[in-house]
Amino acid sequence: MEEFAHAGFSPIPALMVLVPLVGALLMRPLGKRSELARDIAAVAISGSVVALAAALVPLVEEYHRVTCYLPGLLGRMHFTVDSFGMLFALFTSFVWFCSTLYSTGYMKHEHARDRYQTVSLVVLAANIGVVLAGDLVTLYLFFEALGLVAYLLVVHTETDEAKKASIKYFWMTVLGGFALVGGILITYALGSTGAIGPIPLEGGSEALRWTAFVLLVAGFGVKAGMLPVHVWLPDAHPVAPSPASALLSGVMIKAGAYGIFRVVEALFRPTLSEELAEEAWHLTSQFGLVILWIGVATMFIGVVLALGQHNAKRMLAYHSVSQMGFILAGIGAAGYLGAHGAMGVAGGLYHVVNHALFKACLFLGVGAVFFRTGELDMYKLGGLWKRMPMTFVFTAIAAAGITGVPLFNGFVSKCLIHHAIVEAWELHGLASLGVAEKIYIVTCGGTACSFIKLIGFVFLGKAKQEYGPEVKDPPVAMLAGMGLLAAFIIALGLRPQILIDGIFTPGLHAWALHPDILQEYLHEYFLSPGDLMSVVIAFAIGFTVFFTGIRFGLFHLHPPKWFGVDYWYRRTAHGFLGFTRVLDRAYGAYLSHASRGLRWLRVNYRAESERLERQWRRFVVTISTGAPGPRNQHFIQRAYVLLERERQATVRYAVTTVVRWLRDHPSFGEERRQPLIDAARDIATYMAGRLQKERMGVLSDMVRTGEIDVVRSAFESVVADLTEFRQPVAHTAIELAERRMAGENVLREISAAMNRIVSDERFDLRLREAAPRQYMIGSAAHLGQTARQALPTPATLRAYQAQGLSRLERAAKWSTDIARLVVETMTQERVSWFMEDRLDAASVALTRRGIQRYARDMSFNIAVIVLVLLAFLLAVAVGNA
Amino acid sequence: MESQLTTSVLVPLAFLLPILGAVLVVPLTRESPRARGVMLGVCVAATAGIAVSFVPGVLDGTVYETYLLQLTPRIWMYLRVDALGALFGLTASVLWLLALVYSLGYMADEHRQSRYYAFFMLCLAWTMGVAYAGNLLTFLIFYELFSILTYPLVVHEETPDAMAAGTKYIIYILIGGSLVLLAVVFTFFLAGDQTLTTAGILDAGMDHTSLLVIFWCFVAGFGVKAAIMPLHGWVPDAHPAAPAPFSATLSGIMVAAGCFGIMRAVFNVFGVELLAELDVMRWLAYLAAITVVVAALLAVNQDNLKRRLAYSTISQMGYVTLGVALLGEEATAGALVHVANHAFMKGTLFLCAGLLIKQVGLRNVSQLAGIARRMPVTMAAFAVAALGMIGTPPLAGFVSKWYLGLGMLDVDQPLYLAVLLGGALLAAIYLLPIVYAAYFKEPAPLAERSERTGREAPLTMLVPLVVAAALTVVLGAAAAVPGMPLSLARLAAQVVFGG
Repeated sequence: MEEFAHAGFSPIPALMVLVPLVGALLMRPLGKRSELARDIAAVAISGSVVALAAALVPLVEEYHRVTCYLPGLLGRMHFTVDSFGMLFALFTSFVWFCSTLYSTGYMKHEHARDRYQTVSLVVLAANIGVVLAGDLVTLYLFFEALGLVAYLLVVHTETDEAKKASIKYFWMTVLGGFALVGGILITYALGSTGAIGPIPLEGGSEALRWTAFVLLVAGFGVKAGMLPVHVWLPDAHPVAPSPASALLSGVMIKAGAYGIFRVVEALFRPTLSEELAEEAWHLTSQFGLVILWIGVATMFIGVVLALGQHNAKRMLAYHSVSQMGFILAGIGAAGYLGAHGAMGVAGGLYHVVNHALFKACLFLGVGAVFFRTGELDMYKLGGLWKRMPMTFVFTAIAAAGITGVPLFNGFVSKCLIHHAIVEAWELHGLASLGVAEKIYIVTCGGTACSFIKLIGFVFLGKAKQEYGPEVKDPPVAMLAGMGLLAAFIIALGLRPQILIDGIFTPGLHAWALHPDILQEYLHEYFLSPGDLMSVVIAFAIGFTVFFTGIRFGLFHLHPPKWFGVDYWYRRTAHGFLGFTRVLDRAYGAYLSHASRGLRWLRVNYRAESERLERQWRRFVVTISTGAPGPRNQHFIQRAYVLLERERQATVRYAVTTVVRWLRDHPSFGEERRQPLIDAARDIATYMAGRLQKERMGVLSDMVRTGEIDVVRSAFESVVADLTEFRQPVAHTAIELAERRMAGENVLREISAAMNRIVSDERFDLRLREAAPRQYMIGSAAHLGQTARQALPTPATLRAYQAQGLSRLERAAKWSTDIARLVVETMTQERVSWFMEDRLDAASVALTRRGIQRYARDMSFNIAVIVLVLLAFLLAVAVGNA
Repeated sequence: MESQLTTSVLVPLAFLLPILGAVLVVPLTRESPRARGVMLGVCVAATAGIAVSFVPGVLDGTVYETYLLQLTPRIWMYLRVDALGALFGLTASVLWLLALVYSLGYMADEHRQSRYYAFFMLCLAWTMGVAYAGNLLTFLIFYELFSILTYPLVVHEETPDAMAAGTKYIIYILIGGSLVLLAVVFTFFLAGDQTLTTAGILDAGMDHTSLLVIFWCFVAGFGVKAAIMPLHGWVPDAHPAAPAPFSATLSGIMVAAGCFGIMRAVFNVFGVELLAELDVMRWLAYLAAITVVVAALLAVNQDNLKRRLAYSTISQMGYVTLGVALLGEEATAGALVHVANHAFMKGTLFLCAGLLIKQVGLRNVSQLAGIARRMPVTMAAFAVAALGMIGTPPLAGFVSKWYLGLGMLDVDQPLYLAVLLGGALLAAIYLLPIVYAAYFKEPAPLAERSERTGREAPLTMLVPLVVAAALTVVLGAAAAVPGMPLSLARLAAQVVFGG
């Protein structure tokens, strides 16, 4: 901030923000006690802000810049007042005062009056904060506060229409805020210190500068109702209560204009020195041209849209858009003209003030009509000048102001802007700017037409409806508000020197722009024939359009919906929300698929791991026993169960037979009966066990030698036939029981009986006979046969020895054969390991089988571990060696 | 800035006090719930007091430390309070205090209160341990304890939803925890036990592949907790399931602890220069940027309020990670201060969500029309926090977003501004309609007639809520006052970047 050496310090700027803020806190408590006290306080507070703003005038005159700061946020919130900031503060507080005065009468119709006054004062504070802010962060803070709190003014009536408009307003404001903060951040990156002053030219690329410019202009432009981000304005301004509409349209959108003004004339400009080369202004003039064209487009389209409105407040709102176009055109021309842009600055800012005055007055006037008649449709009113003469006068003055009738304020500013555009045209002779000048005149004509319509339809002409006795001039407070505004409209129209000499000349000088041209204007052009002529042309166009429009009903034409940007914004917003819904659904689908996938994975993993486990067990079984594969294993298991059942049945049969025999022989001693049964059971158990062992041996032998198919097909029927051998077992048991009871050794007899039975039975033959005959063809069977023949027997072993193999080879062969033999014996022997018959049923048998299998697996695992350990020891030994 | 080391007994007290509180919960529950409440309040307030008492010293450049326990001849449990830790500890303990007071009201008629309070206190203890851990191993111990022992709080309500969310939580957290463990072990292997200082434990002389592996292990491990986008799955389930006061700390502190871990890894394990040389941070930045945007997009359509807030947390923590990943001083300061700011803003929002559930039984956004007429204070707090979240000045969110934005431009990455502002805009899209509905929508006639004619909550719940909302304002409006998180964050960033 060294550039501004002569800054005076004064607490007034901070006070101007704090006074309404503190005052806002009082509204609710006061309003609860007495409405009158609250209204007086509200007027007094806004009045005191006007007084404070007025107190700034001598200070600014003396120091050119007045600063102060408040602690807070990112350190200090600076306030800096120069001539332009002061100008904004002056008219802001003044219009606010008038509107507050007016609202004390008007708001009697509305609800939530405490809220209205509170919000109004907070917004006043924010608005003052915007125009007095000394650094960009403070500016942003107040700008956001202004936009967001003003939401409550827009939505105040809480009708459906207001809510709809408020939503649009809100999102546009939020978007604008984001653009703004982005732009401000980039200005920091460009080397700004945050002060509202020239950004050094060295820092940052051209692209970054343009980005910053676009973001800043978009951010401020939303508030300013700039095309193409104006769409909220025509909806939001009419739905607010009229005093709030006056503030929204008259004052708050000026905060946006203020921002754009500062962007062009303070941020993106060369340093403050009057002797600068043209090139230094290069970027500024480019930016200025952009703003100029945006302004021209805004003013023209705004006025065209305004012509199609029925609702008076809506029409005024479109005119706010259009009038902001005038202001932007002025500022743009100023930027384009660089160091010689005084005319543009003066025109733009003069128009800012003027528009604030006459648009506020117009809204208040239309509000007064609404206050009395409850009607806003221009085509349904008429002839009110007799009923509401004062309102008519004030509104007419304001209309004269806005249409640029000489001696009213609008005339001055419009001429200034017109001169600025012409100057810009003449600077480089850009033909397009010539077109802009023509559009400007036509727009002035359109404005004239609109207000001919407004005054003509509402106040003049015939009444379209019967007015009740209540339709008369509104209360004094409301008239006073309008009257004050009207007075200033005339004052500024008659004496443009007030602003030009009092504010613009020193202000422009402080910003190193050449203000001499303004004096030239005052002396040579003000009320000159040329300027008057252009007004006449404008009015001629206005009347022409008006009568043509009425004649052909042109004012009732409406373009299709897709013609407006609003439609496309809506489409974009809805499209975006649709996109988020699609995304959400897609994500949900992804999640459910993922979880389904996980479940699938888990299920499959379990199945797969079980399968692997089975295979591993089979592998172990095969390795450790050379036993048949799982199919055989399963078969043998089943066979074992069947044979085991047969064994138990045999024993039971024998016991039953003995018991039956005892029944037939009652003479048999009572005390010897139980021992007899026991002895018989012992014998039968032994025999049945032996039998089972034999059968099992035959079976596994056949299975191993590849005759599995034979065995499988015939086994069940063969086993069913085995019942006939229960008889001989039982018989032998009874025969030998008594001898065993006596303590004789009957083993020999039992063996003899066994041999007999076994030779009778010929289990293997039975199996083969029962089997279908094709088993020999089966390749498996063939293979099994071959394998059996290849098996080394002790005989072959001896043969090896005879062959004179080396010791090692012999050992190898021998160990292989031994292993084989061991395994064979094990598998055969194991069948008869468990012979208890106390627990019955297949489960027991299966359990046994399971235990056997487990033992085998375990032994294999241990063997593997031992092998690994051995390998490890070996490795260690080798390593040490 | 020259730091001076001072041994202070207060450092271990910061986590021993909550443990004491947790131990006393069970006997006191039998005595009287009132005494229990007072005792818990005193414990947490004392912890917060300790955390606050570190602030002036830390700002003067003092580093408080304590050697706690010798695990092996080479490994100590070592606590150390630097600016980063002080900031996190301060945030955690103050938010915990608010959540605890709120719990006293919220949990009054819930089941198994002693379990809740005991684990709630333990959780604070571990958090303080994480904040003040002085070496990687201490950090790891506290971090794992804190991650795993949170489980009972997540499943507290024991509904099927809560149990499922708890399972999801524990699986995510265990996987993340093991990755962190792996990274710590690897770091230990490469560099041994070293204090977490700004120099970084690892150096460029080490094998680059190993360094990359360590880095991504750290990022993935802590990223689970910090909810970096592909790893965020537990967050949207755990938050709605947990009791509201715990949701507030879960969102404000737990998830932030993941970011804190990433910061420790980035600034104290690797060091800024090494990472700049490795050129990995931009990938982290991409991930974080995706997290910010996608999580916010997903939040827009969540009807369950707490779920929406949970997605918002993911998005906001993306900002923190992004700020760290940019490796710039301003961005880091922004990320750090956002941890604190977000904790209170999101805390406020979750406490509001809790009141809506408790007082009127509403869990869904679509049911909230006109609710502000019944609960004006609650919804006002909600509105303040929501605006803060969006970054409206002068609320807390603005400060962090401002510094993040400056940081992005500082490191010449202006495109991330779009992420920053886009995330904020989306925050507006998913939060502000709630405020609008609460204030301006007509309540559904059915809801008006129903039995749930709840009103504002009792003061035990309302006061912490209002305090949290007020903190949201104070952290923004008075951000520059020394002793505020911003000063600590700037100091920490300055130390890290050797300013």
